[in-house]
Amino acid sequence: MYPILAAAVEAAGGITGSFTLGIAGAGAAIGIGLIGARAVEAVGRNPGAFGRVLTLAIIGMALAEAIAIYALIRAFAGA
Amino acid sequence: MKFDALLAAAIPLNAQSVFEEFYGETYLEWLTNSLLVATIVVGIILGFARAATRHLELVPHGTQNLFEALFHGIYEMMEGIVGKHMIARTFGLLASLFIYILVSNWFGLLPGVGSIGWGQERPGAFLSYEHVEFPLLRPATADLNTTLGMATVFMLLWVYWTISEMGVGGTIKHIFGVKGGLKGFMAIALAPIFFFVGIIEVISIAFRPVSLSLRLFGNVFAGENLLSTMITLGNDLGLPKWVAYLSSVVVPIPFYFLELLVGLLQALVFVLLCAVYIQLSTTHDEEEAHH
Repeated sequence: MYPILAAAVEAAGGITGSFTLGIAGAGAAIGIGLIGARAVEAVGRNPGAFGRVLTLAIIGMALAEAIAIYALIRAFAGA
Repeated sequence: MKFDALLAAAIPLNAQSVFEEFYGETYLEWLTNSLLVATIVVGIILGFARAATRHLELVPHGTQNLFEALFHGIYEMMEGIVGKHMIARTFGLLASLFIYILVSNWFGLLPGVGSIGWGQERPGAFLSYEHVEFPLLRPATADLNTTLGMATVFMLLWVYWTISEMGVGGTIKHIFGVKGGLKGFMAIALAPIFFFVGIIEVISIAFRPVSLSLRLFGNVFAGENLLSTMITLGNDLGLPKWVAYLSSVVVPIPFYFLELLVGLLQALVFVLLCAVYIQLSTTHDEEEAHH
């Protein structure tokens, strides 16, 4: 693990969990938030297109979430 | 490192074979606990389908009505993406993938899955374990082999459909060719650039089964872990016995609903992405006009 982080862990004795998962999770959360916001906006502008916007929003969110899942699996399986 | 221990999931990442525990030497080693659930899930789907189609009526009601509504919904949605021409060929795979993933995700939420199995004996108590290390039943999709298998089957069929639809030359032109309807000198000038674009396209196509399988596996595995952490939250925090017991019942309830949604969403996403990948590579240029 990163030496600085390890030192911090010893000092604080409190930082636990995976560093990469934290960043990936934050990135995916921001991505999904943006997609959600735009989707709601699009439906607001054109309520008739709810179905298609929902499908596209789900696909976009899934692709964004996949990045966090890679980090999650690396955290559980890897170092 | 210290915090790796915390991350070591209460639930092992890979499925363990069921019979190894009994006989020591490997015996039916390939039969893992996820595979066991996979066969149960297929049995459920077949039984349900048989019940639905036992006596078909023109005006369906009961199970047949439910089945028809389900299929009609999937058909409508996939047709919107894949297009009228391709839906007939691809609907079989897409619908069966959706139903199989959905049933196996929701089957994984039943109380027995993951909590019945072998583990460290709890001192003094009869047949109750401190913590089940090796569950007998685990959700079928909580095992990378299942999801990778499904993704590979899809990619093989995708190659077959693309080649049979666009022809080998057409597919290569579609990937490496000059896009944007450039003609004459510009086309020749930009050809090498589009060639590299094609290489990146091939890499992203090759990465699709990896991302499809890891996404489904990661979500179901994370959900399993989330639920098990929530259930054992009580005694992890060292609360008194009866509070811990109460919290192990009350705390996971919202997360079960979350898992129901995630199960449905991941099944839908897997199939939607498959449909989109098919549509991306099989629409002829003129068909895009009146989509």
